Amino acid sequence: MSHFLLMVIYALIVSIFFAVLWRRERSEQWKLFLKIFGGMVGGGLVVAWLMYPFPSGPPAPIP
Amino acid sequence: MAEEKPERPAEPQFPPRGNPYLAGFLAWLLPGLGHVYLGRRGRGVLFGVLVLTAIAFAVGLEGRFFHFVRGEPFSYAATATIAATGVPYWVLRARGYEGNTIAPGFEYGAAFLLSAGLMNLLLILDAWDISRGEKK
Repeated sequence: MSHFLLMVIYALIVSIFFAVLWRRERSEQWKLFLKIFGGMVGGGLVVAWLMYPFPSGPPAPIP
Repeated sequence: MAEEKPERPAEPQFPPRGNPYLAGFLAWLLPGLGHVYLGRRGRGVLFGVLVLTAIAFAVGLEGRFFHFVRGEPFSYAATATIAATGVPYWVLRARGYEGNTIAPGFEYGAAFLLSAGLMNLLLILDAWDISRGEKK
């Protein structure tokens, strides 16, 4: 399983959790879910891009 | 001329449900059970599935299982956090689960396990608030 896929799964679990915990209306839940999920995955990609010039070696494969 | 402070809007109150101590205990015992007890079945089941999925990923990745280590305050916090998952914590502990320090997913698994504990801590507080009528 790739590091990216793990990050997406993690973001999915956390964003669904907070959307349902903090909002009651379905439309509001969707909005918050998209904000958190987009923030986590997008933020992760931005950080990864910023770290690109500083490689630490080949990534370890995750079975 | 003294400025008048705007009146603080009244806190919304909802009808209390069940016993808050029992709701909190059940929420700790099994993720989502506190909400099911309070009549929030759909949300309770969804919360339970989310937290248990996070724990399943943690175990699948052979993530770190924390223990109290004398003189290391972070180990106390981490252990208390994963213990907040209730029964799953005790099951893993009874089965001697430790994680695998050389597994590639060791730290990812730890993140999933700690997050599951933190999510269930929030569920305990949410069940408490719903039971006291402070949340719907």
